[in-house]
Amino acid sequence: MEIFSNLALGFATASTLGNLGFCLIGVLLGTLIGVLPGIGATATIAMLLPITFQLGDPVSALIMLAGIYYGAQYGGSTTAILINMPGESSSAVTAIDGYQLARRGRAGTALAVAAIGSFFAGTISTFLVALFAPPLTIIALKFGAAENFSLMIVGLVSSVALAHGSVIKALCMLALGLLFGLVGTDVFTGVPRFILGISAYTDGLSFVAVAIGVFGVAEILRNLESERTREVMQTTISGLLPTREEMKAIVGPVLRGTGVGSLLGILPGGGAILAAFASYTIEKRLSKSPEEFGRGAIAGVAGPESANNAGAQTSFIPMLTLGIPANPVMALMIGAMIIQGIVPGPNVASEQPALFWGIIASMWIGNIMLVILNLPLIGLWVRLLKVPYYVLFPIIMAFCAIGVYSVNSNPYDLFAVAGFGLLGYILVKLHCEPAPFLLGFVLGPMLEENLRRAMKLSHGDPMTFVTRPISATLIAIAILVLVVVLLPSVRKKRDEVFVEEEG
Amino acid sequence: MKLNRRSALGLALSCGMAWATSGWAQTYPERTVTLVVPFAAGGSTDLVARVLAASMSKDLGQQVIVENVAGAGGNLGAGQVARAEPDGYTILMGTVATHALNPLMLKTKPYDPQKDFAPVSLLVLVPNVLMVNPELPVNSVQELVDLLKANPDKYSYASSGNGTPLHLSGELFKSMAGVEMQHIPYKGAGPALNDVIGNQVPIMFDNLPSSSSHIKAKTLKGLGVTTKERASSFKELPSIDETVKGYETYTWNALFAPAGTPPENVARLNKAALAALSDPDVKARMGEFSATIVGSTPEELGKHVQAEMAKWEPIVKSVGVTLD
Repeated sequence: MEIFSNLALGFATASTLGNLGFCLIGVLLGTLIGVLPGIGATATIAMLLPITFQLGDPVSALIMLAGIYYGAQYGGSTTAILINMPGESSSAVTAIDGYQLARRGRAGTALAVAAIGSFFAGTISTFLVALFAPPLTIIALKFGAAENFSLMIVGLVSSVALAHGSVIKALCMLALGLLFGLVGTDVFTGVPRFILGISAYTDGLSFVAVAIGVFGVAEILRNLESERTREVMQTTISGLLPTREEMKAIVGPVLRGTGVGSLLGILPGGGAILAAFASYTIEKRLSKSPEEFGRGAIAGVAGPESANNAGAQTSFIPMLTLGIPANPVMALMIGAMIIQGIVPGPNVASEQPALFWGIIASMWIGNIMLVILNLPLIGLWVRLLKVPYYVLFPIIMAFCAIGVYSVNSNPYDLFAVAGFGLLGYILVKLHCEPAPFLLGFVLGPMLEENLRRAMKLSHGDPMTFVTRPISATLIAIAILVLVVVLLPSVRKKRDEVFVEEEG
Repeated sequence: MKLNRRSALGLALSCGMAWATSGWAQTYPERTVTLVVPFAAGGSTDLVARVLAASMSKDLGQQVIVENVAGAGGNLGAGQVARAEPDGYTILMGTVATHALNPLMLKTKPYDPQKDFAPVSLLVLVPNVLMVNPELPVNSVQELVDLLKANPDKYSYASSGNGTPLHLSGELFKSMAGVEMQHIPYKGAGPALNDVIGNQVPIMFDNLPSSSSHIKAKTLKGLGVTTKERASSFKELPSIDETVKGYETYTWNALFAPAGTPPENVARLNKAALAALSDPDVKARMGEFSATIVGSTPEELGKHVQAEMAKWEPIVKSVGVTLD
């Protein structure tokens, strides 16, 4: 079978000494970054982008960047469980029950469950990527402007459906993001919009700057506010392995989490985060003892952890086959490919099979490395977090600034970091979520560009969105999701999940 | 010529000055030279710059560091170098966009391509290429012209963006061949290529380097190069000029220093650039890249810029593309 020869090629590529080394560096860095509060995979990858040009071999560069990405998912969970501080936004859900388990002295169990769930999900989703990426390549070529537009609609609608908190606020944040996304030169007429006469913004606001501001800087401001109450784990971690009953109990959540994560990961816009929330919702709904959720339910750790790792993995599918970034990290991966002279798109699989399959194989190898690395390293991570925050946050800020500046050497990007950091902090205070804001910021310009391009290509006929079969199907899915969200019973459940999460 | 005392003094002084400055020029460069690339890392201009910088470093005995200052179609980086200290330590990788097209299209000009720069050397010419999706039933430029004439405004062509050299290549083709087709701009060549390969848009103008792999793989059908001569790396590909007489566009890269840079430093940079262009490694890389090595004196580059602006001005006006 072709799949086996492809995977063999992938493993041969990924298991050269050099590539194993880069994979290890990637997952190590990723774990470290994930553990550090405020700084995420996006900033790290942005910082390392120029360095990857020097690496020469695109496979090594992308293997390392991919390692940082899923390594950060792991690292984020570690701190989420130990000190209730998710290092990565997608591990926010893990913190709910993981921290409660830790407080009951079951930190070891929670960490082990998270690791096992992640590893299992990583393995399954690696095979899903291997199996379904090539057929997707064929479909990918059928995606024109109309299809892309409809796909963005599905992404936007689903993100609102699964975002927590108030739907109105989520919609407002989405709209605000869309508006900020419009800053810059209009692709079709060359007219600059909303740049306030600053020519440095003619290419739009830097995504990295906005993301670091809204997430990173805002998070730092919030942490500084509660400096005195920052809690460091005092209890010793004992009883690493879960009991046989617990192992049995997590089989279902892990499987369902993997499924949900794999599916949502493919969608554009923070698939891994959405997947974690969705999995938590599902597990709570299916559980025989839903009252345990929020008080230390093993399933509440196992499900979301599997989901976010599976989502992290499958979000590579649209990047590898369509050249469409499913999330900010993937956008940076595409940048890394372009730096290496590879045109990301449907041809990557056929033109660069060693790269394509090498990355897929490295994901699985990276997952093994993470399991081996992380459990013994927990003690070290905890000590790292004992670094006083007044020492830690200036370092984080410095790294953020260097990272942002290195992307375009544009000082105005740093002003954007400051401005959006302040905006992010205000949003936090108003209980408005930054995630839909960022999603709108990313999807808005793409939505507009594809809408207008589709209209141009159809010579002004809007029916193009429903007469083209793939576009019509996507529009139907979007409507379906919207109907499901608006159904009162679903909405009630949704609110329940997220009210607790806030508390 | 009669020498009077004053002119003799002047001669002696200028000799002394020439000696002093040449003595100083021998020590230039004393530290790293920053080569500003006004486009994002990974593009064709960036690639030319990085290959060249490595070789120039060897000749200069100092590192030439590439700094990407991307934005506003190259204007941010070019403007930054125009305003930089004219000491030879900040130089620009200029292109047809920064030194001919953008200044012609922009309503407010951030810099003057001739007055604000000291030309150093023309480097390479990069051909553009006219390509179609293999499903479009044409095999030559003539067949495409016939198809477009039979179906005015039915077909569209893709380019890497509004006001780019490739957009103007397409507009020039339309006006010279007397055909109509709609322009569909993209954010860069990558997404445009995707849509042409997927037959969402059937026709495209692109830089030859970025699409050569697709033409070789037959995922796209190359119809003609935009240079008068056929490209050395694609001898089988005719030039558009063979069908549409007089048609010629290409992208070029050249080194510029800020105006006022000491001529000795410009000369030193010119020497390093020419040495790099004759480096076998550089030659091989440029060959792979379908770029033709040119090289020139600073004066020749100055004339080249003038000629390019004169050539493009009527085209830009006739196409009616302006940028704010």
